[in-house]
Amino acid sequence: MKQEIIIAGFGGQGVLSMGKILAYSGLIEGKEVTWMPAYGPEQRGGTANVTVIVNDEPISSPILSTYDTAIILNQPSMEKFESKVKPGGTLIYDGYGISVPPTRKDINVYRVDAMDVAAKMNLIKIFNMILLGSYLKLHPIVKIESVLSALKKTLPERHHGLIPQNEEAIKKGMELV
Amino acid sequence: MAEREITLMKGNEAIAHAAIRCGCDGYFGYPITPQSEVLETLAEQKPWETTGMVVLQAESETSSINMVYGGAATGKKVMTSSSSPGISLMQEGISYLAGAELPCLVVNVSRGGPGLGTIQPSQADYFQSCKGGGHGDYRLIVLAPSSVQEMADFVYLAFELAFKYRNPAMILTDGVIGQMMEKVELPPFKARRTEKEIIEQCPWAANGRPAGRKPNIITSLELDPAVMEEINIRLQKKYAQIQENEVRVEEFMLEDAEYAIVAFGSAARIAKKAIEMAREEGIKVGLLRPITLWPFPIKEVEALSKKVKGILSLEINAGQMVEDIRLAVNGRIPVSHYGRLGGIIPAPDEAVVELKKLIK
Repeated sequence: MKQEIIIAGFGGQGVLSMGKILAYSGLIEGKEVTWMPAYGPEQRGGTANVTVIVNDEPISSPILSTYDTAIILNQPSMEKFESKVKPGGTLIYDGYGISVPPTRKDINVYRVDAMDVAAKMNLIKIFNMILLGSYLKLHPIVKIESVLSALKKTLPERHHGLIPQNEEAIKKGMELV
Repeated sequence: MAEREITLMKGNEAIAHAAIRCGCDGYFGYPITPQSEVLETLAEQKPWETTGMVVLQAESETSSINMVYGGAATGKKVMTSSSSPGISLMQEGISYLAGAELPCLVVNVSRGGPGLGTIQPSQADYFQSCKGGGHGDYRLIVLAPSSVQEMADFVYLAFELAFKYRNPAMILTDGVIGQMMEKVELPPFKARRTEKEIIEQCPWAANGRPAGRKPNIITSLELDPAVMEEINIRLQKKYAQIQENEVRVEEFMLEDAEYAIVAFGSAARIAKKAIEMAREEGIKVGLLRPITLWPFPIKEVEALSKKVKGILSLEINAGQMVEDIRLAVNGRIPVSHYGRLGGIIPAPDEAVVELKKLIK
């Protein structure tokens, strides 16, 4: 199975870390993975995106022109990436940050109100995990256990206490689609 | 270490970990995007507490490369890393290192120029790396990794070749491979060489003269032109030997290919994707990837030009390696170039379009 994914939003929304956790989960399952950030002077408030590829076969290019899935967290990213989802592909977006919803009919569009739900659950800092949960419900390319192991690997030890909350957020995200 | 350690890391981090593990004695550098993680990772790892490797942030790139000169003169395994503008600042030192025949490793995680340019990826330093950069008739051994795994492996290879030929080696990479995270199996630990081993393996080094031995002099200065010509002739013989023995390439889907893309580093990854896409449309195309940019794979490109009908040089620059390809092809078949400039990376589908233009 192969998934070519773009995750895009504002810096500080956890775009890069969502991608990193997904890539790590793939690594744990022995898959081939690449994680390619659009790096730059971007900081909190600027735009940020990352291309993640998870594949059973070796990966050719870490840079792509079209994607199987786009996870979109803000309006500028919607404008940039809606057109780059492959026909039949998946677009997941957070309703909070989007003023003009996507219009394409040849792709599967899912609105997930992750930010609103996160605010209600007091999990606002990990609303990205809700979106990751929604994604994994639609495309179970890695197991939840692998995601939890990946969190252990990527989070500094002092934050390991937050892993149960992350798990809760992922499960909530799975319910939302 | 018996256990295989497979992990996920950035190319820049892999360079730092490989440096520690390969028994490097000293790193001297100065931060610059997109290579700063090399120095950051070394600072986090604190190898001075484990292997004894020195890690020093110098006050500039100029002093970094001169610290490399000093360390290399004593037979130590030393390195620096920077990105394009910083590498330009080092060129005087690199020429001196080549002139004094000192082994070392210089890593260039290049970015778009000219000038201060951009921090986005570029391959526009091919000319600088392979055709001089500094002054004088010299060559660097230039390796171009195209994966995070090769970033780690080529640190080992670069030092091996640098010491084998007493010549500076360069890893020429860019922001794509430097910033990307991929699976990597870190190579096994090698202990740093002892003083005794350095004396045995580097009889030329200035590391304390035993009684009765003539002084070892490390210099690139020779005012007598007759002697200087002799030195140059000796250097050229060495370069010819490297050209003969050290060319490395990767071939991908070339067996039945009617057309070929030649690309290095990150562009070679994009080329592989373009080849997958083109083959879905029935176009028989393959890739020749120079791993050594210098020595350039002259014979391999020449042989390729007798096999395929046309070559596309895919580079993230305005057309630099294509000059070497055309020399090797010598007019036998059409050779075209496609590249994006200033930090824009060519997408795989753009390469397919260019390939179709070549076929028409």
